[in-house]
Amino acid sequence: MLNVALAKGRLAESCADIFIKCGIRAEILKEETRKLVLETPDGKFKFFFVKPSDVPTYVEYGIADIGVVGKDTLLEAGADLYEMLDLGFEKCKLCVAGFPDAKEKLGEGHLRVATKYVNTAKKLYFSRGEDVEIIKLNGSIELAPLTGLSDVIFDIVQSGGTLRANGLEVLEEVFDISARLIANKVSLKTKAAEILPLIGQMREYVGKS
Amino acid sequence: MAYFKLPAGVRDVLPDECERLDRAEEALRKKFKDAGFRFIRSAGLEYYDTYACIESKIEQSKMFKMTDKDGGLIVLRPDMSLACARIAATKLHEDHAKLCYFTQVYDFSASGNSDREVAQAGVEVFGEKGVDADAKIIAFAVECLQAAGLKKFIIDIGHVGFYKGLLEESGLSGEGAEEIRAYINAKDAVNTEIALKKYGANEKAQAAILALPSLFGGPQVLEEAEKLTDNDLARASLAHLQGVYRQLAKAGIAEYISFDLGTVKSLAYYSGMVFTGLAEGVGASVLSGGRYDGLCAQFGKDLPAVGFAVGLMRVLRALENKEGKLC
Repeated sequence: MLNVALAKGRLAESCADIFIKCGIRAEILKEETRKLVLETPDGKFKFFFVKPSDVPTYVEYGIADIGVVGKDTLLEAGADLYEMLDLGFEKCKLCVAGFPDAKEKLGEGHLRVATKYVNTAKKLYFSRGEDVEIIKLNGSIELAPLTGLSDVIFDIVQSGGTLRANGLEVLEEVFDISARLIANKVSLKTKAAEILPLIGQMREYVGKS
Repeated sequence: MAYFKLPAGVRDVLPDECERLDRAEEALRKKFKDAGFRFIRSAGLEYYDTYACIESKIEQSKMFKMTDKDGGLIVLRPDMSLACARIAATKLHEDHAKLCYFTQVYDFSASGNSDREVAQAGVEVFGEKGVDADAKIIAFAVECLQAAGLKKFIIDIGHVGFYKGLLEESGLSGEGAEEIRAYINAKDAVNTEIALKKYGANEKAQAAILALPSLFGGPQVLEEAEKLTDNDLARASLAHLQGVYRQLAKAGIAEYISFDLGTVKSLAYYSGMVFTGLAEGVGASVLSGGRYDGLCAQFGKDLPAVGFAVGLMRVLRALENKEGKLC
């Protein structure tokens, strides 16, 4: 049996479609339920529903053999695991954004950056040799420059609608983000007969779409 | 009662679990002695410079650091292979030595599924090299995990020489090579490709390096890899692993062996074959080792060396899970 960690919500629904197309009896993922663990009728797969940022944790510890999670979450978690496949959906970008005139401030003096991706932002600015003040927020990141809490924000941007509605714009695109299939480093080898054919099928499916 | 708590990443081992730990240790102690290894105990405190100023340095962030009475910087034992290499090179005055140990090593930065205080049982062979020596150490690793009570496990073998060979062809800079090595270790083909383009590796080497994350599995992996490169070092590394595999097959333990050329451990530390022991139900390796022919020379005496360490607490966890507690 393969244990699969999935992020609750939209990502889980997109995953269900791919899994079904790859011949897994994942219809159960589409049913309304409050259960946290679901097993396929053939007993081959067990799905855990967890918070997105917990997917890498379940996989790193080997409680889940594989998982599906956004690259932004992976960057932030820095967990020790294998990143097997770019699934190509849930695409967005990790960007630096702010008021148009904030561009002049980038790379000079003391920059205040609001983000929920604290580790990723630290690594980014460290690699550039810039000293910045990173301000951890948990939501509505766009509010930070509006209220003067920060000069810029570092966040995922999908359509850019929220930014525009608040007079902000993307100042720099830093990382391309999409959903990734991840695997535990031991499971990939000890359960290779179950995991590898699945990855092969998913790769084929993703290549086609 | 905050004062009675333990810091993150360390733990007490209470009598029940300690008995299981002792049983595993006793089994390994006998194995080590029967195979001609001699026990050592290295100092728990060492100078920071010993580990920070050598070529195969331990990262600063990984060491527990303290200031000595005279102002010198000292660390809690961060790595036992380096300690053994130091002892073999500076104190034993022999060209051949088989050392073993039971000890704790400390990793300041460890988090997640890794502890900061790790109980290791390990062996190091100094003064032997070639296919025979490498096959022998793998066979011994299999015996040790069996002796500790594990039944279903794999020794997963790679070779840093294969990646080094591809690097020679690629024209990649040291910085680029190190960044790409991290991506390969995570089997992250997406970033491997982006980085190869960014650092401008030549085309044939690019294709071969890009194949690394998928070059794992049975011995057929070695044949597949042969088709990817003409580089002498890379091909010699594959021939070496094939030689090792033939001996292991002859010894009747092929079922425990798999290969992963995408396991590229630190190039400054390891010089040849590298391997990890994987058991179901743990999520992380239970054994880790490899060949590090350059380490002793850094302490003043050039000796080839190969060895491995067993993570005792992880072995216990694998044994527990097998009894059906978790999965």
